Amino acid sequence: MKKVPIAPRPGWQAFAESVGFQFHTIDNEPYWDESAYYQFSLAQIEDDLEAPTEQLHQMALDLIPDILRSEQQLSQLGIPEQFWDAVKESWQRAEPHLYGRMDFAYDGKGPAKLLELNYDTPTSLYETGFFQWVWLEDQQMRGVLPEGADQFNSLQDKLEQAFAELPLPRPFYFSSVTESQEDKGTVDYLMDIALQSGLDSRYIQLEQIGDIDGQLVDLEGYPILGLFKLYPWEFMLQEEFASTILSSDTRFLEPLWKLLLSNKGILPLLWQKYQGHPNLLPAFFDDGKTPLSPGWVRKPLFSREGANVELVTPQGERLQQGGPYTDSGYIRQAFAPLPRFGDSYTLIGSWVVGDLAAGIGIREDNSLITKDSSRFLPHIILD
Amino acid sequence: MQKKVFKRSRKAALIFMVPAATLVLQGCGSEQAVEAQVFNTPDECAAFYNPPAQCQAAFAEAQALHPQVAPKYANKQECEADFGVGRCETAPEQHAQGSFFMPMMMGFLAGQMLNRGGMAPQQQQSAAAAGGRNTVPNQPLYKARDDQSTFRTAGNTPVASQPGPTQVRPSAVQPKPATLARRGGFGAQAQQRAAAAPRQTTYGG
Repeated sequence: MKKVPIAPRPGWQAFAESVGFQFHTIDNEPYWDESAYYQFSLAQIEDDLEAPTEQLHQMALDLIPDILRSEQQLSQLGIPEQFWDAVKESWQRAEPHLYGRMDFAYDGKGPAKLLELNYDTPTSLYETGFFQWVWLEDQQMRGVLPEGADQFNSLQDKLEQAFAELPLPRPFYFSSVTESQEDKGTVDYLMDIALQSGLDSRYIQLEQIGDIDGQLVDLEGYPILGLFKLYPWEFMLQEEFASTILSSDTRFLEPLWKLLLSNKGILPLLWQKYQGHPNLLPAFFDDGKTPLSPGWVRKPLFSREGANVELVTPQGERLQQGGPYTDSGYIRQAFAPLPRFGDSYTLIGSWVVGDLAAGIGIREDNSLITKDSSRFLPHIILD
Repeated sequence: MQKKVFKRSRKAALIFMVPAATLVLQGCGSEQAVEAQVFNTPDECAAFYNPPAQCQAAFAEAQALHPQVAPKYANKQECEADFGVGRCETAPEQHAQGSFFMPMMMGFLAGQMLNRGGMAPQQQQSAAAAGGRNTVPNQPLYKARDDQSTFRTAGNTPVASQPGPTQVRPSAVQPKPATLARRGGFGAQAQQRAAAAPRQTTYGG
């Protein structure tokens, strides 16, 4: 694994905008960064990332029946009691799930360390599945990268297959928060793939979803029987329409049981069951108050994009990221340093579609905490 | 010879995020407007040289549709805010605190059924025979509080500013059952948290 500088394609910004990538630059800061790429060997990809991703995914799924049997664990994960039965039912009915992303600290040597699972509303999907794919094709066409170069990125193929095969109600609705251009971009990409797979797909703004006698409905009052929502379950469970989740005849993507896996509390539970696994870091539930010792990271049970994460390096350097996720419990996880390439710290997001590893996306930040402003860089496989 | 197995997708195509492709998807049909007529009363309809029986029938159809398609409000004040004082009536539906309210019907749209003195427009009759969405159903019309000169459908599509013949796009005037949906029940957390952290651009992660 190495980082290689490369000339950005002239005019790539205009091209990006023409294919729906409006958020390539966020608040005048580059988000998509093609001034360098990461290069992996095939063995690094297959042995160190692909295989562990599928194994960790199965380990996480295997935890679910244990959690559902344990009121203590459901409480530890901060699941509101009135939704316990609904979570159980969504698992027992084997409601299909679409995708997830696990984040790894990996430097090319030794086992990748699992930092967390983003199993409810993972983003950076379009950047990974489409734009970095096109970047490689483009750089090969220009003769800048060799024909033999490959990429660990079967994301779009696997999503298209999933939409074609999953038992989803039709029409199937896609939803995101109105104000977020980035989320709309992600949802547009998913809808695009769903349409290509033949699924009758429609968009509705999350705030426009209606409720008639407990049934979620679209703008014309027709029942929404299938809904992809790029919006955290833990938010939905607190909002005015929370009870419709129990009453509405609606199949959700991700299904409600994903609430258990998108929760940082899954990390201590994984550690309890598989202590010493080479891809796992020691992790424990935390009261959120005790001062953090050097070599530990504290994260809220529910948090996105590095918000409200606190970290003390083994050398005692303390980092804290503010944010709006202060209303849940916490976990503490052993610090695994992100590898440093030049001035940047690098994080690997490894995708799962259905139950298969589906590719990676790389994020870089100037700090040890990866955030929503962290840059996205493409990668290649070349031995 | 061994075939190389790629670790990346065979293709990564977009069909709907790309604007040019979107046009293709939407198809090339710029829909044609068709003629319909707008009246306050069946008598006015007949005065426009239409058969009185057909005017009566169109009016009756519109009246029957009225309670089904009129927009519904949880109370009279909200309804009058949109349609004007004294221009709302109780709707058939009940909610926990009482009746729903709806605007009064202020006129009707007569579709292609009127044959205007026996001279039936050929293409309109065949359109009617074909049924479906290229026809204009007879339906009730309403007037907004702040725009009393414009006739509007229950779906708030303006169709005319005076009685008589008018041009409408059939797809814009298809009556739909009024929904009594409550809305805005999801998304509050996003707003709260956006206020707490304005930099946040995504609710994914």
